[in-house]
Amino acid sequence: MMKRNFPALLLYSFGFLLLWEWLRPVEQLTDTDNMETFVFFLLISFALSFFRMKWIWQSIIKLLFILFSINRFYYEEGFFQSSWLKSFSKDLMDNIGFLLARQWNDLSNEFRTLLFFILLWLMVYLIHYWLLNRQKIFIFFFMTLVYITVLDTFTLYSAKAAIVRTVITGFAVMGLLTYYRITQKEKVNDDRSILRKWMVPLVGMIALSVLLGIAAPKAAPIWPDPVPYFTAAKDKGGNEGSGGISRIGYGTNDERLGGPFVGDNKPVFMYKANGKNYWKVETKDMYTGKGWIPSGSTPIPFMEGDLVPVYSIPEKVETIKETAEVFFNTNYSSLSFIIYPAGIQKILEVEPKAPDLNKFQIDTTKEKINSFSRDISSYKVDFGIPKYKAVDLMLTTEFDPTVMGTEFYQKYTYLPEGLPLRIKQLTEEITAGKSNWFDKAQAVERYFSNSGYSYDQKKVALPGEQDDYVDQFLFDTKRGYCDNFSTSMAVMLRTIGIPTRWVKGFTGGDFMEYSQGGESRQIYQITNNNAHSWVEVFFPNQGWVPFEPTKGFTNDININYSSGQTSTNNQTPPPAPVKKPQQKDLEETSKTKSKEKSFDFKELWSNTKLFFENNWKLLTLVIVLLAGMTGILYRIRGKWLPFVVMVWYRFKKKDETVGTAYLVLLAQLDRYGIKRKQNQTLRNYAHYIDSFFSTREMTRLTVAYEQYIYHQNLPKGTWKESRKLWENLIKKTIA
Amino acid sequence: MSYEQMNPTIEKILVNIEKVMIGKRNVAELSLVSLLAGGHVLLEDVPGVGKTMMVRALAKSVNANFRRIQFTPDLLPSDVTGVSIYNPKEMEFQFRPGPLMGNIILADEINRTSPKTQSALLEGMEEASITIDGVTHKLNKPFFVMATQNPIEYEGTYPLPEAQLDRFLLKMKMGYPDLQEEIEVLNRAQKVPPIEDLSPVIDLEGLLSLQQEIKEVFVDDTIKRYIVDIVNRTRNHGSVYLGASPRGSIALMKAAQAYAYMFGRAYVLPDDIQYLAPFVLSHRIILRSEAKFEGLFAEEVVNRVVARVPVPVRRLVK
Repeated sequence: MMKRNFPALLLYSFGFLLLWEWLRPVEQLTDTDNMETFVFFLLISFALSFFRMKWIWQSIIKLLFILFSINRFYYEEGFFQSSWLKSFSKDLMDNIGFLLARQWNDLSNEFRTLLFFILLWLMVYLIHYWLLNRQKIFIFFFMTLVYITVLDTFTLYSAKAAIVRTVITGFAVMGLLTYYRITQKEKVNDDRSILRKWMVPLVGMIALSVLLGIAAPKAAPIWPDPVPYFTAAKDKGGNEGSGGISRIGYGTNDERLGGPFVGDNKPVFMYKANGKNYWKVETKDMYTGKGWIPSGSTPIPFMEGDLVPVYSIPEKVETIKETAEVFFNTNYSSLSFIIYPAGIQKILEVEPKAPDLNKFQIDTTKEKINSFSRDISSYKVDFGIPKYKAVDLMLTTEFDPTVMGTEFYQKYTYLPEGLPLRIKQLTEEITAGKSNWFDKAQAVERYFSNSGYSYDQKKVALPGEQDDYVDQFLFDTKRGYCDNFSTSMAVMLRTIGIPTRWVKGFTGGDFMEYSQGGESRQIYQITNNNAHSWVEVFFPNQGWVPFEPTKGFTNDININYSSGQTSTNNQTPPPAPVKKPQQKDLEETSKTKSKEKSFDFKELWSNTKLFFENNWKLLTLVIVLLAGMTGILYRIRGKWLPFVVMVWYRFKKKDETVGTAYLVLLAQLDRYGIKRKQNQTLRNYAHYIDSFFSTREMTRLTVAYEQYIYHQNLPKGTWKESRKLWENLIKKTIA
Repeated sequence: MSYEQMNPTIEKILVNIEKVMIGKRNVAELSLVSLLAGGHVLLEDVPGVGKTMMVRALAKSVNANFRRIQFTPDLLPSDVTGVSIYNPKEMEFQFRPGPLMGNIILADEINRTSPKTQSALLEGMEEASITIDGVTHKLNKPFFVMATQNPIEYEGTYPLPEAQLDRFLLKMKMGYPDLQEEIEVLNRAQKVPPIEDLSPVIDLEGLLSLQQEIKEVFVDDTIKRYIVDIVNRTRNHGSVYLGASPRGSIALMKAAQAYAYMFGRAYVLPDDIQYLAPFVLSHRIILRSEAKFEGLFAEEVVNRVVARVPVPVRRLVK
């Protein structure tokens, strides 16, 4: 048993800290309140243990504390009014009944609290026992780590700090315990100087391992964070966009973007048209740092067949008249909004037919067209495909209040306060040398395709409380889906004063079949997987021009780069609508991949060569240092090798171990300076060693070894008997 | 080697011998080793140091038939081996066994007799049988000869040829007792010699079975190698004219087995070899005359050889 002294106090404190780690998540993850009372209870328990109060007094104090706490939690009456005790004891009896009947759910809160206290009591006792009697705490330490890491993985509890705390306390307490075990075993006097000698490397070791742990690169998780699944399952997938995993598809709430997606190939609608195009649902204008919200807007009603009052494409821009028919999938017929291509003009032939004509309402900011009737199954939409000219687009170089309202400009270049400055710096870097908005927008659009960004729906981060959605994507994660790319581009352009807005809708979908009848039109299907977002940049003379920053997506926008001439046959006839040859695509990519691979070896070789050429000085230095360290380690192996060897041999069970162990001892004695002469027999040498150390151990051990080598026959249990002798001798050489 | 338990029977024999011999435990031990290994001993020493006493005690302890032959220049081979004499009554030659027909024989001053007689003895030692008038007579078992040589008187002696020295398992010196021991010898001399009171420890049957057990003593390959290494080196040593023969190796191994057995071990240690090598090998090598002139003795050479050979401390890797 240990004395009541400073080290014992340390041990108790560490035990308390370790146990505390178990309580911390409880507060966060369950609806347990008043955690400080429980912590205080732990503190009291440890203190009582430390002062080694008689168990009866300990129990009385703890019981009183428990009762007092229960009274404080659940009863209005004061502690000293005995009336509450009566009801508590009745409650107690009831609950014991429930326990016996295994009706766990009926247990009252008072009783649960009581049980929790008892559990803590037991834990304190156990830790006390582990620390002072067994002097081993590893299992508890290990369990604590497991507990914390499991909670960290599967719940919202973030164990970043907890794990560091636990590792520090755990190592410290184990180090101390080892010290006590050793001093007791070796019967070394409890000397302050020895303790200090022990503590300094211990502290160093802990500091080193913690720092190393913090600084070391951590492997990315091999599975997506499961927490969203759990929360999602818990909330039954309720509030979309609130940070859980989302199902892909069209959603309206974009206040909080990010997080992983799962695919969903439920069809939403089909359309018959002359070629593919993107379909818009709504646009948003205000970036909050986490997502998009629409600023104030006014609804404008209009009728079927009217010109749709969206921000239209200016007259200057040439358009091609087109018509598309949209059929909603029956499941989605309850959608109350219209999906439309850019350049929409009119909505026609809405089914089911209204008695007069169908009424619609458009939101000026969102440009979202709501229908008054909720179950539209199909409609026709007239629209004009714009044919932009690069020369015209390039005209705009800066904000000009005369062609664009200041209010309008401010609305679409709004950025939240506290947007990290580096976004702007990056944008300026990308657009350096570009004079006009179009070039700048294109530079940003292209930037994503070749700067290490990748498209991913699964491993997508959800920005934390302090993170900016765009900043996180641009600089930290570099992984995401359309929302990340589009939002980033919109925000980036805004930082350099180009008005943008964020558009949500669907991509062109998959080709299904040719339409029947003579017209050469195609039918496309759009599923939830086609839900998409992109960017529109405002050019005063050209209107809102769409851009597609998302990697792997293309939006066929007609831009004529040849100066003035109209490229007539550009749009008609439409590109042969071939069903996307996915299989082939895959094959091709795999082919190119394998090609890349064969190149890789050469490249790898040349890279390696280059690396060596460039860094040979450093490499030589490293090698020399390593060699030097190895040499030093080798020279002083007498100091550390025995320890390693001792631990190693502790796990050996076979009697034949005597053979190798004895040779190790011979080598160690040799290093120690008592060398066996070549012609000296082991027995003779053993005598010499024994007289040197004034023991008889070497002789006894030697007899065992002699049987090993000269008799080839070892009595059972030789190693078991000899190990102690061997260890003692090894220890003598390092003492 | 106090930490080893001697074989109890052998311990008893030694104690018996010590009752009449003061000191000289090592000589007693070595003689026993030789007896147990089925070999013979050549004692080289001056008269009067107790050779006879020791042999007799030894013979008494094992309840053996003890004979003594005092070799003189005029001793004939038949005096040693026995002779066939015509018995006129029965009209035939009758064999009358000589002293060689005992179990333990003290051949005193063996170098005083003619080579002819010597070889009669040596043939018996080697073959365990003697041939007289064309009839081969088996000798008794066990058969143990302890021959003595006087190193002082060379006149009128016939030194044993090297080839014949080979027949002795061990050659040793008795040496004088030290002061205390000699005083004790005087004390004892005032009383009746206690040799007559010695009682046997084992009988000849027991001795034979001991000899059998000794053959079972384990000799590891490392040890065999060690033996051969040592013997081999005597052949290449600079001061040696003729090294020990393979018979020397066998002798060393057998002696070591008996020695190990004596100390209650079922296996031979290099220590046994180191201890026995000078006794086993020194009379089996012939030194160059230069070495002799330098005053080098064969024992010294053997010790030097042993000091050169590394002791095996690892298992042989096969």
